[in-house]
Amino acid sequence: MSIRIDGLNKNFEDFTALKDVSLEVHTGKLVALLGPSGSGKTTLLRVIAGLEFADSGRVFFNDKDVTEHSAYERRAGFVFQHYALFQHLSVFDNIAFGLEVRPRATRPSKDEIRERVHCLLQLIQLEDLAKRFPSQLSGGQRQRVALARALAIEPHVLLLDEPFGALDAKVRKELRAWLRRFHNETHITSLFVTHDQEEAFEVADEVVILNHGSIQQIGAPKKIQTEPANAFVQDFLGLDFEI
Amino acid sequence: MAGVVPDLTLIRPAVRPAVRPRRATEEGPFIRWTLIVITVLFFAAFLVLPLVTVFVEAFRKGTEYYFKALSDPIAWSAIKLTLVTAAIAVPLNTVFGLAAAWAITRFSFRGRQFLSTLIDLPLWVSPVIGGLIYVLLFGTQSPFSPWLIAHHIKIVYATPGIIIATVFVTFPFVARGLIPLMQNQGVAEEEAALTLGAHGWQVFFRVTIPKIKWGLLYSVILSNARAMGEFGAVSVVSGHIRGLTNTIPLQIEILYNEYSFAAAFALASLLSLLGLATLALKTYIEWRAGGRPS
Repeated sequence: MSIRIDGLNKNFEDFTALKDVSLEVHTGKLVALLGPSGSGKTTLLRVIAGLEFADSGRVFFNDKDVTEHSAYERRAGFVFQHYALFQHLSVFDNIAFGLEVRPRATRPSKDEIRERVHCLLQLIQLEDLAKRFPSQLSGGQRQRVALARALAIEPHVLLLDEPFGALDAKVRKELRAWLRRFHNETHITSLFVTHDQEEAFEVADEVVILNHGSIQQIGAPKKIQTEPANAFVQDFLGLDFEI
Repeated sequence: MAGVVPDLTLIRPAVRPAVRPRRATEEGPFIRWTLIVITVLFFAAFLVLPLVTVFVEAFRKGTEYYFKALSDPIAWSAIKLTLVTAAIAVPLNTVFGLAAAWAITRFSFRGRQFLSTLIDLPLWVSPVIGGLIYVLLFGTQSPFSPWLIAHHIKIVYATPGIIIATVFVTFPFVARGLIPLMQNQGVAEEEAALTLGAHGWQVFFRVTIPKIKWGLLYSVILSNARAMGEFGAVSVVSGHIRGLTNTIPLQIEILYNEYSFAAAFALASLLSLLGLATLALKTYIEWRAGGRPS
């Protein structure tokens, strides 16, 4: 499913978070939102998820206007920087949550839920830890559980907010490679926020660079690196070009 | 393990370090022991001694008299009134406290800070004033009085007044207990639940309530202890009608003023037991909440 954003504006009191942001994420792409802190990338992701509402502008999922839809109607899988796992639920119940809360008519049976959760546990390679609680997991394990939980609802799109930001360098690299492989297999339209350019350029098909709430450049990693659109991009990427 | 009992007296000297490890914040032995002794003495004089006295005095005339004093119809009606009052005031304040804590921590609106401060009002003003407000509001001088009389509604010097005064005095407890907790926890788990397709009530019952349950229970039992023990506010609105509008604390005062010390202390021992039970429950909750979340 594609995501299209049309002229988003968002202000927090006297701070401008998003300024006339328009963007299209094509079906099956893995796109990175890259920018310094305070550039509006997380706000943009939250507006797409329905966790935040823009002052003006529209959000479309596959040409369907979801601007007024609440988060639970959008079915956008969201992965939080600090995991936001349910502390009082086991790994199994965390992953099953999105299925358990469905209305009776569309809720899978207990057996189906168990089967699906086990499939996801297999995917994230944590089958043995189904009964553990989040507090008993390492950071990397928690983030994998959070991913599985988001995937359990078979989301239309996957939104990741600095998913590896709280992890140490080694785990970050592993998970990054894992995410890329996972995306190659599933081709679920994904948008992830990061302030780490290495991460963005290594993982994403396309990189969107934001600063002060507006888009500076959109393009394939190579293209951005060889042809920075303006002085900000050049400076932010630390590229020294002789003019 | 079984069968082999190590002789601890032999092991101990070897295990014990020659010098206790000292920390920078640890004072010398003189200051340390002075503070410990002061704390223990103060605790004994102001907390343990009175508590023991209550029970000693209550049983001064024997167990038989103790139970007779408690089963006296007037004492019994005071116990019932106290229970009824708490049974109404505590759930009301639990719902109110939850709603207020939710509103203050989850929404931003004009006057939020003011509301947050206003919730503490009953803690600042003397409970007597709390009671007086309702006497003035619903008593014979009040503008509502003719209407209340016409509809045969009696608030002041009756059970409704006692309940209202108790609600007034105890309403900060739940909200105050929950606000810092909910502010600390943030809303990330609730947001996650929303993105997973949960609706408002599902988020509340499946995510928020489990997150705050120990804090909530803690606040509720504190609120309950205060509701049952409240004297000042209830005293003003009660009218002290024996067997009708006296709660346990009021009945204790009356008995005491009539020199029925043993009977007064018998009732007082009930309230003390409630206090001890609250303390035990509170300790249990802290122990549970401190452990692994489950």
